[in-house]
Parts: sequence; structure tokens; C-alpha cells
Amino acid sequence: MNALAIEAEGLVKQYRGRTGTVDAVRGVDLSVAAGEVFGFLGPNGAGKSTTVRMLTTLLSITSGTARVAGIDVTADPDAVRRRIGVALQEAGLDPRQTGRELIELQARLFGSSPAEAAGRAEELLELVELTDAADRRIKGYSGGMKRRLDLASALVHQPEVLFLDEPTTGLDPASRLGVWDEVRRINQRGTTVFLTTQYLEEADQLCHRLAIIDDGRIVRSGTPASLKAELRARLALSSDPTLDEVFLDATGRTRERVAGEVQEVGA
Amino acid sequence: MSVLVQTELLGRRAIRESLRTPEALAPTLFIPVFFLVVNFGQAGRIFPSDSTPFLHGQTYAAFQLPSSLLLAASFGSAALYLVEDIEGGYFDKLRAAPVSRSALVLGRLIAEGAKTAVLTAALIVIALPFGVTIASGTAGLVLLLVLTSLWGMVFAGFMQLIALKTRSAAATNSGGLVFFPLLFLTPNFVPRDLLTRPMEIAATFNPVTYVMEALRSLILQDLQWDVLARGFGVVAAFGALMLFLNVRLVRRYD
Ligand SMILES: Nc1ncnc2c1ncn2[C@@H]1O[C@H](COP(=O)(O)OP(=O)(O)OP(=O)(O)O)[C@@H](O)[C@H]1O
Ligand SMILES: [Mg+2]
Repeated sequence: MNALAIEAEGLVKQYRGRTGTVDAVRGVDLSVAAGEVFGFLGPNGAGKSTTVRMLTTLLSITSGTARVAGIDVTADPDAVRRRIGVALQEAGLDPRQTGRELIELQARLFGSSPAEAAGRAEELLELVELTDAADRRIKGYSGGMKRRLDLASALVHQPEVLFLDEPTTGLDPASRLGVWDEVRRINQRGTTVFLTTQYLEEADQLCHRLAIIDDGRIVRSGTPASLKAELRARLALSSDPTLDEVFLDATGRTRERVAGEVQEVGA
Repeated sequence: MSVLVQTELLGRRAIRESLRTPEALAPTLFIPVFFLVVNFGQAGRIFPSDSTPFLHGQTYAAFQLPSSLLLAASFGSAALYLVEDIEGGYFDKLRAAPVSRSALVLGRLIAEGAKTAVLTAALIVIALPFGVTIASGTAGLVLLLVLTSLWGMVFAGFMQLIALKTRSAAATNSGGLVFFPLLFLTPNFVPRDLLTRPMEIAATFNPVTYVMEALRSLILQDLQWDVLARGFGVVAAFGALMLFLNVRLVRRYD
């Protein structure tokens, strides 16, 4: 098996629309080792979701190459799809199905028999604490329930690599901790996790390594500890900075500037 | 897993979706019945059964039934559900699964075909009190159901192209209106040889004409193999084209 779960070189995405082109991702290199939890951080519009969509075969790659689970994403998308689980930023659910139907269908589409699919659905619904709501239409689920169901649906086939685009956005603190536990558990079973998040504490807690993307380019990468140590050394700080400070430094959004912008708005 | 199993799974899901939205189903039955009743009511006396050769002894409602069947088969609601899947992100979830792209397209189309078969049967039953019989017998009835359903799939395929291209419910809805001119550029009130010359030419170029004539022959006459071959030929050719274009669009979908 390839030791790298995700490898990208010079990944570029240009959206061409009626109103011109948008350079969403401008040459991203990534290497995520098998077994890691990898965090992908960046401000709004930085290109996180675009990168995830390219890696998960949902979006064409303008230039560059990407390999996931050792397979070239463009050359053999179906083989990649069999090995990955995906929970996108906008939970992709069908409001007219019940939670159970959705998971069972997903399991069957990944090749399970009807009996296996039923068993797997039971197991996963329990895992994300949706057993009580399992036979209700998804339309009536709360935002957090939808997110959890979406996560469960990404796990039906025990993927080698799991992509989670902002899995905890919109969750209450208890559910967020639940997802963290789940991510750790999934990872302990050997699944590589590629996760984007807006919550720096989440990245600090969960991720072995992370990369910060800004305006389509990677501006920092390393372990949370190494990134903090680097900033501490560079600014000659007396104690370790937080990951928030690393993030603000990396994306050029210093506290002073953020404060200044707020003042301008106020004036 | 085979394309067939995947198609069946996605087809079942699409049928479930329709059944859970009965509000959307009602107009697809009501409007065709409305046209049948109104057209028969208005022109029934102009074309009495006993002195109108092209009716083959049946009422004018029998002559009108194919128009209503084609109308019922041409709502293309499958495409609107597809837009909802796209907007809600479920389409991406399916695209990220190792599902054959043909199954992704065909699942909905098969469901649309099944739905059309049920609608067709209902419309035939509703038409019975208006003096309509299926002159081609049981085999003809089966062919009638199959041909209408296949047309329903072709039309839904066309609507899905608009849905995939525009990803907008409004655009998909108005795309469906394209069918109305096509339905009226047919011999829908009188047979083709009684049309004025420009209309006859237009009808001859309109593929819907051949489907309508095939359906009509099944209601009014014995099995007319040449007419049926043209009707099924049109549906087969356009069906293959729609499938090809749909799969290509899904593959290139960004
Ligand atoms: N379909 C699209 N067409 C055109 N531009 C797009 C499209 N999707 C995203 N973009 C643009 O690409 C850039 C990157 O967007 P992306 O969604 O990848 O950011 P993100 O890092 O995920 O942001 P967020 O944290 O808000 O989710 C943005 O400038 C966005 O406006
Ligand atoms: Mg995003």
C-alpha cells in the first residue's frame, strides 16, 4: 500500500463563468500520510471546499495532479470513489427519504447486500445517535441531526480516506465533541481523515498535521506544535502562541488589522 | 455491482419520492383528463362515429386519447426532482459514490417510465365511459402502455438535460413548455392527410407525430406494424440520444 493517502502537486482550479474566471486554487501541493488526521484551514473563500471537491472527483482539475489512496483522481475516478467517504460542507441529503433509507441506499450503492445494508444502517444510526429519528423523513431533522446523518452516510463502506468539509459547523458543543470522538475512533481504525474547519481549537485537538490555505495558496503547513514554535521563534514571544495567532499571522489578518477594520466599519 | 442493480435502487428511490409528493402527481392526471373532456365536448359532434371514417366506428374521444396520453407523459417531473437533488447537495453525494453514471441517469428515467405506465392505465380507464375501446386487444394495450412510458422516459431525459445544464427549477420548468408547440404541430385534431399543406409538412417533420399515430392506431385499429415501427423507432432513436447526452453531461458535470 502507498504510504501517502493524499498527494497533490500543483493543483489549480479556475472557475470559468459568465462573469469571468475565478482562480479559486492556485497551485496547491499536499501530502497526507496514511493514518493521519490532516487539518485544512483557511479563511472564507480561501479554496478549501474547492480543493476537497477536486480530491473527491466532484470537480474537474484545471491543472496539476492528485492521487488519493494511491490512485490518480482524474485517471480512475471510480476506483477513488470506492475508497473514499465524503461529507461535504452542505450536507447532501434527500429530504423525502428517512434517515434509515438514506443510509441503506448508500450502503447498497457501495455494494452491500440488502441484509448487510440494513445491519450497517442500524449500526451507524446508533453511532450518530439517530436511532430514534431513523424512520422519520429527513425533512424534519434539525441542522445538527442532518450533519450527523451526513457523516454516517460517509462511513457506510469503511473508507480508506474520509473527507470532511467543516463537519462541526452548526453543531452544539456536545455534538461537536461527539464528532471529535468519532473522528478519533474512525482514525484509530486506520482511516485517514482530511478535515477542513473554521475552529482552530478543533484543528489543535484533532489534527496530527495541518495546512493553512489563503487565497488559493498554502501559506503554512506542519504539526500544530511546529507551527506555534515557528511563530514563537520568529516573533521572539515569551510563551507559545495559540493556533489562532498562527492562523492570523499566516493569513495576514493580524489582530491589529482585524481591530482596525472593525473600527473603520464602526466609523 | 452491476449497472442494473444500481439503476433499480435509484429507480425505487425516485418512485418513493414521487409517491411521497402526491400533490405533484395530481395535475399530471387532471390536465390530460381536462383536455380529453374539453376537446371531445367541443368537437365530438363535428366528428360523429358513424359518418367519420378515420374514427373506425369509435367516438372522437378515442381519437383524442393519444394527445392526452402524450400530455400526461410529458410533465418531466423527474427533472424537477433532479434540480432539487442538485440544489440540496444529494446529487453530489451520489456522484461521489462509485455508481455508474448511466445508472445515475437511468434510475430516474425508469421511475418516470413506471409512473407513466400507471398514469396511462388510469387515463384509459377514465376514457372508457367516453366510448373508447382498445381495438388492438390485449397485446395492443400492452404496446400502448409501453410506448407511452418510453415516450415519458424520452421526454424526462430531455428535461433532465436542461436540469443538468441550468441547475435551475425555473429554467427546467419553462424548458418543458417546448413540448406544447410540438404537441400541436401534430395531427392531433384530424389525421395527417386532412391537415392544411403547411401543417402537414410541419407534422411530418415533427417526431411526436409518429408516436401519436402509433398510439392512435393501437386504439382505433388492429395492430398496424408499419405505423408501430415508426412510433417505436422514433422513441428508440430519441431515447438513445437522450441517454447518451445525459450520461455525457453527468460525466462532465462540475
Ligand atoms: N461554482 C463556483 N463558481 C465560481 N466561483 C466559485 C465557485 N465555487 C467557489 N467559487 C469561488 O472560489 C473561491 C474558493 O471557494 P471555496 O468554496 O473553495 O472556499 P472555502 O475555503 O471553502 O470557503 P468557506 O470557508 O466559506 O467554505 C471563492 O472565491 C469562491 O467565490
Ligand atoms: Mg467551504
